[in-house]
Amino acid sequence: MLGFDFIPVITFLRWLESIILELGDEMQRVCMWIRSSGNIGLHLLWRIMHLILSIWYFVVGLLNVLESFVITSGWLKRYKTLDTSQVKYLAVVVDSEEARQTLKILELLRWLEAIGFKNVCLYDNEGVLKKSKDALMLWLKSEKMSKEATSEPLLEQKYMNLEVLSFSDGRRAVAKVANILLERHYLSAEMEKPNLTESDMTNALGEIGYGGSDPDLMLVYGPARCHLGFPAWRIRYTEIVHMGPLKSMKFGALVKAIHRFTMVHQNYGK
Amino acid sequence: MPHGASKHWAQQSRIRHEPTGSNPNSNLSKLNLKPELMPKHVTVIMDGNRRWAKSRGLPVHLGHRAGGQAMTQLALNCMKFGVQVVTVFAFSRENWVRPKEEVDFLMNVFEDVLKLDLKELILQKDMRLSVVGNRSQLPESLQNLASSSEELAKSNRGMRLILALNYSGRYDITQATKNIAAKVRNGVLQVEDINESLIEQHLKTNRIEFPNPDLLIRTNGELRVSNFMLWQLAYTELLFVDKLFPDFNEADLIDALAAFQRRQRCYGGHKY
Repeated sequence: MLGFDFIPVITFLRWLESIILELGDEMQRVCMWIRSSGNIGLHLLWRIMHLILSIWYFVVGLLNVLESFVITSGWLKRYKTLDTSQVKYLAVVVDSEEARQTLKILELLRWLEAIGFKNVCLYDNEGVLKKSKDALMLWLKSEKMSKEATSEPLLEQKYMNLEVLSFSDGRRAVAKVANILLERHYLSAEMEKPNLTESDMTNALGEIGYGGSDPDLMLVYGPARCHLGFPAWRIRYTEIVHMGPLKSMKFGALVKAIHRFTMVHQNYGK
Repeated sequence: MPHGASKHWAQQSRIRHEPTGSNPNSNLSKLNLKPELMPKHVTVIMDGNRRWAKSRGLPVHLGHRAGGQAMTQLALNCMKFGVQVVTVFAFSRENWVRPKEEVDFLMNVFEDVLKLDLKELILQKDMRLSVVGNRSQLPESLQNLASSSEELAKSNRGMRLILALNYSGRYDITQATKNIAAKVRNGVLQVEDINESLIEQHLKTNRIEFPNPDLLIRTNGELRVSNFMLWQLAYTELLFVDKLFPDFNEADLIDALAAFQRRQRCYGGHKY
């Protein structure tokens, strides 16, 4: 069991699930017809099929939970030692509706800190996380301080560097940079035809406070598999992993995503 | 190169057309695809040509040749399913670091695809064509061919294929900023006019009906956008598939479109 790879099984069951979802409308029509027909045999058959499908969903959910448990327990060798040094900067994108679950965000940050990430960027489109930032930092620091009081006093405890962004840090920041570069390069009478470069853009973004590091890995929590407007300038080579809804987040899934990233080799166009 | 390999691939260079007269909507319903949920703009990062060739013991350049054919077939399939804009990431500004021989061969593949396959789609399928990226670094023959192909397709009204050659997302944003700044300097625009909408209007995708992709497909199992359409992909559904691009066929496209239709779309509260 410890060496068994659940991935092909889960992949197969997800394929079956997608087939079932595709038949949604037709299934609904069949259900209505059976109910109206009054045929007890058909009704019983329908119930049996419903039971089988429910068992399928249950098994899929169980396998996900089991996989996460196995990873969390450290039974799978490959997930036991996680090398986070390759993830110098981690971005976490959260759907704004889900970002209101502050306790879930805090739990996620605790996990990230426990895994060893020192530089984390939280993002949501509407700026919900910006409002929670102070509370989140306070919670994390107070937990750290209470651990310090009971642990080795000589151990230096460093807090996580937490950057929190929203839509205004992305596209609007680029528009602001355009203004600055216009004044610097174009409105000056000296230069006939200045050559604006990507480095100029990067430097200008840094000057006005929007020059954070490019994330190596981005975890997206929410229903949609998009990065929801995360600052475009910073995600050239960022690995993007969709983690599903925040309410269903699992430590095992987080570890698995990070482990997968550590196995990746980037060519950078070569 | 194995004997007969080039002949094999020459025989493969045919676009597979559907029989004429078939009803597109009935075809879609047979495939469980809803026309009203079809993504208007699909973009594809065509990754995996070299791995495809290596896995078959073939030289890398044959992988690119197969990729070129797969790209043309992809365009045709998208046309069939009612996608209105398709953007393909053919060559990145970062790809110049590859061996010169490979880069030269790629440029030849692009010329062949433009001269033959895409020309056929322009003339017979009413396809429109745009080439985006920094053309000045491309071979002159390819630059001329790109321009003449766009000119040939100018009056067409069908699906638009955007070929991203020597393109990068950061370059796109930088050029847009540069163009806006020049317009302000020349009095065409005011400084107060500069905002994110104005930048979007000056990107390379500014002249098309649906500038922001609804769906991005990247082959070869990589989970990143590699400096492609950075601005435009803010609310694009990202679909990363393991298949290598030359193997990405009609069935895979159908799966991708079906997956898109099943997913919840997110627009971030912004209008397109």
